[in-house]
Amino acid sequence: MSRGLRIVIAEDSLLFREGLVRLLSELGHETVAAVGDALTLRVAVGDNQPDLAIVDIRMPPDQDTDGARAAAAIKADHPAVGVLLLSQHIELRHCLALIGRPGFGYLLKDRVLHLADFDDALCRVAGGGVALDPEVVQALTRSRPAHDLALTPREREVLALVAEGQSNTAISSVLNLSERTVEAHMRSIFPKLGLVDDGTTHRRVSAVITYLESRPGPAR
Amino acid sequence: MAPTATRALIAVATVVPLIGLSLGPAGGIANPAGHSATLVAMAIAWLVHRRLPESPVAPALAWSSSAVSVSLVNDVLAASWYTDDPLPLAGVSRHLWVGLWPINLAGVFALLLVFPDGGRRGRYWSALPVMYALALAVMVFSGWDQRQPGGQVVGDQSSLQSMAGLVAVVLLAACLISAVASVLQRYRSGDERRALQFRWLVLAGATAVVLLMGGWLAEAFGASLDAAYTPFLLAIVLLVPASVGVAMVRHDLFDVDKFLSSGGSWLLTLVVSAVVFGVVVTTISRSLGESAGLGPAAAAFVTALVLLPLHRFSVVLVGRIVDRDRHVAVAQVEQFATDVRSGLQQPESIERVLRQAQGDPDLELVLWHPDGRWVRLSGETVDAPDDGIRVEVGGDTIAVVNLGWQSARARGRIADLTRAAWVTIEVSRLRTVLREALDEVGESRSRLADAAAGERRRLERDLHDGAQQRIVATGMRLRILQRHLGGTAEAELETAVAELEQTVRELREIAHGVRPVRLSDGLSAALETVRDASPVPVTLSVSEPMGLDETRRLTAYLVVSEAVTNALKHATATTIEVTVADQDGRVAIAVRDNGIGGVPELGPTALRDRVLSVGGQLTVHSPLHVGTTVRALL
Repeated sequence: MSRGLRIVIAEDSLLFREGLVRLLSELGHETVAAVGDALTLRVAVGDNQPDLAIVDIRMPPDQDTDGARAAAAIKADHPAVGVLLLSQHIELRHCLALIGRPGFGYLLKDRVLHLADFDDALCRVAGGGVALDPEVVQALTRSRPAHDLALTPREREVLALVAEGQSNTAISSVLNLSERTVEAHMRSIFPKLGLVDDGTTHRRVSAVITYLESRPGPAR
Repeated sequence: MAPTATRALIAVATVVPLIGLSLGPAGGIANPAGHSATLVAMAIAWLVHRRLPESPVAPALAWSSSAVSVSLVNDVLAASWYTDDPLPLAGVSRHLWVGLWPINLAGVFALLLVFPDGGRRGRYWSALPVMYALALAVMVFSGWDQRQPGGQVVGDQSSLQSMAGLVAVVLLAACLISAVASVLQRYRSGDERRALQFRWLVLAGATAVVLLMGGWLAEAFGASLDAAYTPFLLAIVLLVPASVGVAMVRHDLFDVDKFLSSGGSWLLTLVVSAVVFGVVVTTISRSLGESAGLGPAAAAFVTALVLLPLHRFSVVLVGRIVDRDRHVAVAQVEQFATDVRSGLQQPESIERVLRQAQGDPDLELVLWHPDGRWVRLSGETVDAPDDGIRVEVGGDTIAVVNLGWQSARARGRIADLTRAAWVTIEVSRLRTVLREALDEVGESRSRLADAAAGERRRLERDLHDGAQQRIVATGMRLRILQRHLGGTAEAELETAVAELEQTVRELREIAHGVRPVRLSDGLSAALETVRDASPVPVTLSVSEPMGLDETRRLTAYLVVSEAVTNALKHATATTIEVTVADQDGRVAIAVRDNGIGGVPELGPTALRDRVLSVGGQLTVHSPLHVGTTVRALL
């Protein structure tokens, strides 16, 4: 909660939308617009130029994946606006191209109940980082053979957490390792993925993209 | 021919018997009777002329009878020359008295040439009448100045005249043989209608021959000549014109073939059984002497014994000769019925076979459907047939045959054919009904499968977007509340939120069981969840057909999921291999395990029903101790 974000919310369930608005204000963010469908969402983003758009994946008019398609359109029209998709379930058809890109996140809805983690994710995405639900990462990497990319199991665990958007500190506490060990793993991972260690956040994002894209693609 | 020409020819022919009648009973009492009969033939000729004014058959018919009257009149005129009171023209007639006889056959000759639809073209055929006229002239020359009072030829004949007589006979024979050959050839090459018309002629001709033979028999038993041969002469003068008239005007008046063949076969039976009777009586009386009554009794017994088989045999024999078409057609249908019984043909071909046998490409077989409709073999519903030949079994109509070409003969023929084919017709009807019922069942099952798939999807959405959403929203309120309260309440709320999260996870699990959301990302994505849930290694190879519909995709998922569950539960397998392939747009599923095997061939009922619900096929191969392979094609 370093700073208050200007946020646009798109969510068709009034109950959930109102709850989210209150929750965000509780977290110190400003909801500049709260809309109920995908078309209005794009207008609201264009008008307000927010830091972040929180988008429900199933919304009118089609009640299908309008949210995911709107998210792609927003990322194309306004690259600086972070987009966080919220969903009740994992459904990746229309957002595969966005996953791992800077300023994009995909979380299950019940993650909002963990306020600190949720707030973290908001800030990361608004700041051009990534935030992927562990289940999304699992869904994307589950069909990958272990020997792929010559990563050790531990390195894969670390990289999966990186893909979720965790910082080295967070990773070290999740995996019960020292931060130095995590850093060592990262240093060994980058060359295996063919990335130069240039010491920026961008490098971590590239690692995630490489990692996710190297998997055999799901049926599209 | 022009109608005026034909009319003039018939008119002249009609005048001749009238002249004959005006002469009175001169030349014998038979003459007025002959002229009267000729007048009846004239009436028939006029009738034919009225219906077919341009047909040369009508004048030929008139002259076939009238020529006999010409001959009779000439006899009377010629005879009168030698009385005190000669009739007019007697001076000319007396020279023709002996040589004019070929004129008797002139009308029949013409009739044979032009029946039933006009004369033939070609040099030889047009020369024939000229040749006949020449023969007549030569014959007249040969008999010039001779007389024949009372049938006895009187007078001298030069050698030239004798020679001329011989030449004339040869010419006449050539003409008549040609005419008969022409008839036969046209009968062979003609169409159905012409063949029928010829058969009328055959009916009359055959009757005349039978009567002639009857005449001989009567003469042999001592009947007078008049009594013996009058029926034959009347047949010639009346029956032949009548037959020709019917053939020209109403050739399908009744089923002449059937009449011919049943009449012929009864006649044959009668003659043969009489011969049998005679032979037996003679043999017994010869060998046993004149022992009283034994011969006739034994003969009656033997005759009765052979009568039925004999009649059956003669029906077939005569049918084959006289009514060849019908015989062949019935045999064709019977052969088809045999082929159906032996599994060589489908009973549904019956309509095609009937069309062929009946020679009627527009023939339609309409079947009675038990729910009160009329259907074609294709199952298509049609209007109730208002007429047509009914095919009945045990008093119930099972089908109706609509003929494209109606006639008494056609109706009689199709009745025979359907009698030969009723079993096949009934089988094809039942199969049509059954197929329709099965189609209906299949359609309704696939509608149910679609409805069930839709229902699962709706339920999954309701869970995700309804209940789950509300629970999370409630959780958010609790979190906000939590931040403002603190103390013991905070710990309590933490537990409550954790409970809610657990509930959401459980709901997500339930929704996944109803319909995995990953299915929207493709069969492959959804099946990965099956693999991940399995405690035993599952190898997955999925290639989903393009444009797979929701019902089949969900079914494919559930089939794999159930097969894997079964393998895990019952097979004690250590590896499971799942293959989903695109087989020409159909989904080919194979789930193979290395377990204990021994699964019944039909497979588990639930799995089978699931596969059948989308019209698929399920096969289970499960040798003991080798493993089980479940294959499904959707």
